Amino acid sequence: MTISSLAVSEQVADRLAPYIGQFNARMWVKSAARRELGLVPEDVRMEHVPALLDGLRTALSTLMGRAAADDVLLQIRREVS
Amino acid sequence: MRFRWLAVFPLIYAALFSAVAAWLGSDPHALQSFMTDQRIVVRILSAVGCCLAVSVFARGDHLRRAWLCLGWAAVLILLRDVLRLFPPFQAGGSGGMEAQAFLSGLGILSNVALLAGIWELARSWKMAAIELPGGRAGVFAVAAVTAVLALVVAGPGALEHGRAVVAGDWGSLIFFVSAVADILSLCLITPLLLTAVSLRGGLFFWPWALVTASQVCWLLYDAAGTLAPHIAPRGFPLAEVFRGMAESYLFVAGVVQFLLIRHVRRAAG
Repeated sequence: MTISSLAVSEQVADRLAPYIGQFNARMWVKSAARRELGLVPEDVRMEHVPALLDGLRTALSTLMGRAAADDVLLQIRREVS
Repeated sequence: MRFRWLAVFPLIYAALFSAVAAWLGSDPHALQSFMTDQRIVVRILSAVGCCLAVSVFARGDHLRRAWLCLGWAAVLILLRDVLRLFPPFQAGGSGGMEAQAFLSGLGILSNVALLAGIWELARSWKMAAIELPGGRAGVFAVAAVTAVLALVVAGPGALEHGRAVVAGDWGSLIFFVSAVADILSLCLITPLLLTAVSLRGGLFFWPWALVTASQVCWLLYDAAGTLAPHIAPRGFPLAEVFRGMAESYLFVAGVVQFLLIRHVRRAAG
């Protein structure tokens, strides 16, 4: 379970990294997981992905606007499995 | 996407400007005319860059507000420079004090808009919860160095013009406001720079890096009076080179912001 849980948060971070860099991607995922779910990234599972992505929306919208942020989050939701 | 080729543009501009200025150096009239024309060109470029950046954001987006302020700053200062080409708005022209006051007003509004735009960009790191590198100590150290540099290059001018305004010389108001806006916006280099560093490795590094480069060039523009005797031939318009680079970097930053958002939407859509 730990391996697949780790993979979910890492998959999200890996898809954000091309835009905001690896370091920020991991920090954002870590912060959103703690804030929205009360979890550490290792404990994030597939059913948590929608809430995790919602938690990333504000920060992402600041950097790229709401429309582009929504597109990116939708893409991540499609791709993360 | 590769933006390096765009980032080189201001350097090419500076090289071309320097070559032409050196070639025209013996003819002050031709040099002055060239400087006026190129100033209009770079003002237009920076306005175009800001408009492009504004166009990719929706109403209510944080960065739309930032680029809109920067765009207004570019348009207002462009308008001032264009008006100055007409006789009523030239020094001692038929427009008199009213025309000069109008030009000063445009200059002040432009400075305020520029400061507002840079402020909006600079506070993005906090809104986006971006982790700045170096921790508190690192941020404080960079902020202190930047503040000292800003005060050294723009402080004496602010003091001098502030005294003139207090003594009743309202013509100095534009220079005072400009110098104060310079100090404040130069201090904002710190969050811009650290945001860019934090975003390295990601595509969104580029707009912040290029706006930071623009601000650094404004810092050099303010310092040009001190630097010129040491690094440039006598009579060489070093300040104009830095002004042109600052405007060009803002242009390129706007273009990159535009291309980047379009790229993100296409890739993710």
